[in-house]
Amino acid sequence: MRSDPADYELVVPGSLHAVLALLAGEPDWQPIAGGTDIMVSYAAGKLSTPRLVSIWNLPELRRIEIFPNEIRIGAACTYTDLRESSVVANEFPLLARAASWTGGIANQNRGTLGGNIVNASPAADSLPALLAYDADLILISARGERRVAHRDFHLGYKTMLLAPGELIRSVCLPRVYAGYRYYARKVGSRNAQAIAKVCFAGLGLASHRVIEDVRIAIGAVAPVPFRLAETERILRGKTIDPPLLDLARKTAGAEVRPIDDIRSTARYRARVAANLVAEFLDTLRVEADRRHGELPIPDPMPDRLARWNSLPPDGAAQEILPCCGSRAWAFGVAARRPLLDEASLLAASDQVWNSLDEPDWLEAFASHPRLGESRAVPNAPAQSAAWSAQEQKNVAASSKAALAELAAANREYERRFGRIFIVSATGKSPAEILEILRTRLQNDAAAELREAAEQQRRIARIRLTKWLQA
Amino acid sequence: MGKPSAQRREIAFVVNGEPTTVTAFPMERLLDVLRRDLGLTGAKEGCGEGECGSCSVLMDGALVNSCLVPVAQAAGVNIVTIEGLAANSSLHVLQETFLAYGAAQCGICTPGMILAASHLLDKTPSPTLANIREALAGNLCRCTGYMQIFRAVAEAARRRAAP
Amino acid sequence: MPVKGVQGDDILDQKHIVGTSVPRKEGRDKVTGRARYVDDMVLPGMIYGATVRSTISRGRIKAIRFDPGIEWSEFVVVTAKDIPGKNRVALILDDQPCLAEDTVNHPEEPILLLAHSNPHLLPKAVQGVSIEYEELPAVYTIEESERQAEIIWGTDNTFKTYLVEKGDVDAVWDKADYIVEGEYTTGAQEQLYIENNGVIAKFDPADGVTIWGSLQCPYYVHKALLSLFNLPEEKVRVVQTETGGAFGGKEEYPSMIAGHAALLAMKSGRPVKIVYDRAEDMVATTKRHPSRTRHRTAVSKDGRILGGEIDFTIDGGAYATLSSVVLSRGTIHAGGPYNWPTVRIRAKAVATNAPPQGAFRGFGAPQSLFAMERHIEKIAKVVGLSSIEIRRRNFLETGSSTTTEQTLRDPMNLGQLLDAALESAGYREKKIRFAAENKLGKRKRGMGIAAFLHGAGFTGSGERYLNSLVGVEGRADGSVCILVSSTEFGQGTNTVLCQIVAETLGLPYEHIAIAQPDTTVVPNSGPTVASRTVMIVGKLVQSAAVGLRQTLMDGGLSPEHTPEQFQAACREYVESHGPLRCYARYQEPPGVHWDDQKYRGEAYAAFAWAVYVAEVSVDLTTYQVSVKDFVALQEVGKVLHPVLAEGQITGGVAQGIGFALYEKVVWRNGRMLNGQMTNYIMPTSADLPPIRVFFQEMGNVHGAFGAKGIGELPMDGPAPAIANAIEEALGVPIDSIPVLPEDIFEALAHDEPLAAPISAPRTAL
Repeated sequence: MRSDPADYELVVPGSLHAVLALLAGEPDWQPIAGGTDIMVSYAAGKLSTPRLVSIWNLPELRRIEIFPNEIRIGAACTYTDLRESSVVANEFPLLARAASWTGGIANQNRGTLGGNIVNASPAADSLPALLAYDADLILISARGERRVAHRDFHLGYKTMLLAPGELIRSVCLPRVYAGYRYYARKVGSRNAQAIAKVCFAGLGLASHRVIEDVRIAIGAVAPVPFRLAETERILRGKTIDPPLLDLARKTAGAEVRPIDDIRSTARYRARVAANLVAEFLDTLRVEADRRHGELPIPDPMPDRLARWNSLPPDGAAQEILPCCGSRAWAFGVAARRPLLDEASLLAASDQVWNSLDEPDWLEAFASHPRLGESRAVPNAPAQSAAWSAQEQKNVAASSKAALAELAAANREYERRFGRIFIVSATGKSPAEILEILRTRLQNDAAAELREAAEQQRRIARIRLTKWLQA
Repeated sequence: MGKPSAQRREIAFVVNGEPTTVTAFPMERLLDVLRRDLGLTGAKEGCGEGECGSCSVLMDGALVNSCLVPVAQAAGVNIVTIEGLAANSSLHVLQETFLAYGAAQCGICTPGMILAASHLLDKTPSPTLANIREALAGNLCRCTGYMQIFRAVAEAARRRAAP
Repeated sequence: MPVKGVQGDDILDQKHIVGTSVPRKEGRDKVTGRARYVDDMVLPGMIYGATVRSTISRGRIKAIRFDPGIEWSEFVVVTAKDIPGKNRVALILDDQPCLAEDTVNHPEEPILLLAHSNPHLLPKAVQGVSIEYEELPAVYTIEESERQAEIIWGTDNTFKTYLVEKGDVDAVWDKADYIVEGEYTTGAQEQLYIENNGVIAKFDPADGVTIWGSLQCPYYVHKALLSLFNLPEEKVRVVQTETGGAFGGKEEYPSMIAGHAALLAMKSGRPVKIVYDRAEDMVATTKRHPSRTRHRTAVSKDGRILGGEIDFTIDGGAYATLSSVVLSRGTIHAGGPYNWPTVRIRAKAVATNAPPQGAFRGFGAPQSLFAMERHIEKIAKVVGLSSIEIRRRNFLETGSSTTTEQTLRDPMNLGQLLDAALESAGYREKKIRFAAENKLGKRKRGMGIAAFLHGAGFTGSGERYLNSLVGVEGRADGSVCILVSSTEFGQGTNTVLCQIVAETLGLPYEHIAIAQPDTTVVPNSGPTVASRTVMIVGKLVQSAAVGLRQTLMDGGLSPEHTPEQFQAACREYVESHGPLRCYARYQEPPGVHWDDQKYRGEAYAAFAWAVYVAEVSVDLTTYQVSVKDFVALQEVGKVLHPVLAEGQITGGVAQGIGFALYEKVVWRNGRMLNGQMTNYIMPTSADLPPIRVFFQEMGNVHGAFGAKGIGELPMDGPAPAIANAIEEALGVPIDSIPVLPEDIFEALAHDEPLAAPISAPRTAL
């Protein structure tokens, strides 16, 4: 900590009115909201404003007002406030996305939209969204309020249209984007807690691949974030096809003005900016619903798994029993919870299965119907029967002659080994299954038991995967 | 900037359920006040810039990095630190599962990590792995590679749902 | 008390405590916030210290001026002239000053120390000391250092060289069907323990120096202070406080910061605390040695290595510190887990004008193993066989002779490890699937493999030289206390050593304690490094425990005693005889021969073996590489504590992923520019894949209960596995790490192999 607290004054007037009065008298007071930028400079010994006035949590600045034609977000709304607002989530998803990728949860709980605007980092996370939405700012001082277009607010690197004694009061977003598709992406050095190397916010309105309107705003590739006006111009009214994507890439790549710095290179930023434009246009092309944002990454722990993790042991075991038929297996896997993703679930299934004994294996085998027969096994759960039917569908579709051959081979197997033939049938043709059966008929009892167990292990995996996806 | 321009003042808040008053410069960091003035050394300084999360505490129920909070802004708030998480001498369920699953190795990130996890479970009682990853992304751990921390948090959620 | 040596194999059959995941000994304090790290400690009258450091890379100090605007009479000021003993941080070559006198050799070199009771006044005071230099030309890269146009250290800029020669390499080239060459480089890496370096020092003219600190090796600090202060052994006391991560970064550096705090304490007569902030810790303390490895290999047409030359060079920064030992380990591991009928390894550690590099988990092996596992892939491409097959055909096996001509006696089966790892990773199915899927779409996926080894303990005669001593004490209340200088910093020292004693004595785990490492209380069991604690110190602790019980049995305790009987026997003994302690000293196992001149012989008592498999996905829109799945399979002797062992692997793999993809030190003129957590990027919880850990156990006779060391092993595999996976995905070789998206972009744009000199700046400013 490289500053001396004794050198700094911080006052907390507690109301907007009092803050403005203070600023009117002595404009050198530096407003501080959540402190996620100012306190970093302070700790580094680089805060040059020794007098600070707190605007944290002022009720007048920390509300979201909803009007028919616009919403006004108080400048001291935190990123968490934005994420928790349903009107922002529904109507201004670019901003909701930007809020979710700013810092970690702790910094989202303190960082504010107004702070992001006046800190004016070229890589500021929320500014491209505000540019894409054509936001206005309401500025306030003891003298009164005025309204300016956000796109006119930043004049250059860290210079802006804020007069002495003035604060941002609200950010106004027009409610005119119903039907627009959105695409937001931040490219940083890692997936969380990263300063943007390129920050992209795009809105588009297209029908039958013709672009009716397009808005592309981009950050971290110039001293201030900006709209790619030239790229937008060559896109409006055009049909989205590969030549247009190429043209858009080239135009965007020339429009951005990135630099080399400690985080990245100009060449990389320019190329990625162009790629993001192309990716955005690709999503416009897709006849998907408006929630199609950036390429979705499937959650490796689906809701189903999360809920299953929370069940009591009995319930959890019952739920997965149809996947394998062995109660020891089901309870064994349930005992391994919490299982965080599909890979862990399948690994647990294998480990438990391999640790069981013959009686448990036999119990599992007995839960299957004989291959090629449609008669359900008595007492088997309905889900198990349904999966069996699915796995054996190739067999079920065979000719009568093939089915007769399979039935005969099955009976021979049962005479020899005293139980039905188990094989993971998914994807196998009846001829393949028959050949496998005939080969396995040559096995001795011990080897055949191991082989059947191995097949059952695979069946359990397949069924667990289906269960997760259901 | 040679002469002091601030006076120490009294700032009152509640810490771990106890009403507390400190006398401090308004721009003292909440982290330093907790550690030095109140002897609550569970919150740690790992980076001083809100990146590592080892200073995390709960302020009016919200997870914050105490190295970035000027103490004057904490007037009137309810603060919970790791020392206040457990009731009496029994452990909070997260403390139990962190112990059981190896989620604490060197322990320096642990207080902040547990508070971040507690904050998550309060908001999302049945978190998915993606929820857990996101909730803890502001708490850096250099020892564990996070795997055992994820398990500890998921198990804590399970125990709370089905004790 | 009788001193017992290690005798043969004392592996007990029953495993109730060893082999189970007992609660971490100090875990409760850690999860409740009660654990006391050095910055949590306050001593009465304590003041705070800070360091004035060089702003240039190399030059002479001409003048030191103090800003008249600061009230200097309130400050304690220490310069090199205040040092009572030798102005050196004693380690190996003793070339590093504790405080610079006339010359500086790297940015951030400590010159002056200040202390004040108000820590907030120190940053301004540090700024208030201005130093006038006469700058000298500086050297920043391995290549510049080798050129020797400017001599910055010794006579030739070279801290150390090794030459390993096995067989007749020069004769092999004519027999080769292929000669495969390659160059591979790795960058510096910051340990990034979440607790910064810190110490508190006290000085008393009568009692001497006392240090409390975040450190790995209390006796290293002890030794360094003896010569700095010219004090006898009993006048220096070093105590380790709870340590928030170390990874080698607190192996030798604490001797420096402890010396500084102690000098200020001596001058002021007050206790002095120095705790670095993150920026200072990052730019001023040690990092992993950057490396450059060149391979030239003779290969037969059926893919067998006939022999070759390996040239291994590391950049040690401005002073020698531990470079010779890092070089040693890197050299011995340079051949990987492969059979080299003949080989010549030339290794050197060179000086540059950067802050000295030092220990970081793996200690030279991650560097040379990265090169080997990249090179084996190149060999495979030249020969036209899969790299899996090439590995199989060259793997070491029981009875093989290593590059240092150590015959491997333990049972081992690398081929089987490879098969098991590939199976767990789903390698074959995924390879087929990715080959098809990569033809379409903007994400390219690939699988990569790394096979490797890691020797546990100090090299060759190192353990004999360390001559470790441990103690075990039976206390009046019947509990048993372990006395070792081995430190806990998250890896589980306390827990595992207590498990070993509990198991050995048949006592409950809860009855075993371990003393806080304090040089006035515990003997020197050697440094907590080199993955030696469980294997070597654990074995000694076991032996001492056996000795303790023997003493009690000599006094009548039954061999089949219950815990209560043991307690009673302890109580009786202490009441009648006084303290009950048994010590055990290291004895080199018979048949261990090491020739330090020829660098030949039994390098390590045991090796752990591993195969790691990485699955990556490269996003061609952003060129970012994401690791999707990771399998870490290793054969480690015996797993004494499953949860702790798994935690060591997942943590090491995470650091290895950082080494490969995220952790780049940006240098300018020998100074680290990105010395903040915002700009030095380590993986968060949102960045890592599921890390799936598997152990195989083939008990080893040397280690306690058959265990081999595992702490550093996981650092060796991830980076080459990931580089191999990226090459598989993109068809572009990755021969230099870290590899950032910007590098992937450039490689795809130019379609050239990435092998830029590691010390050349990649980003202009």
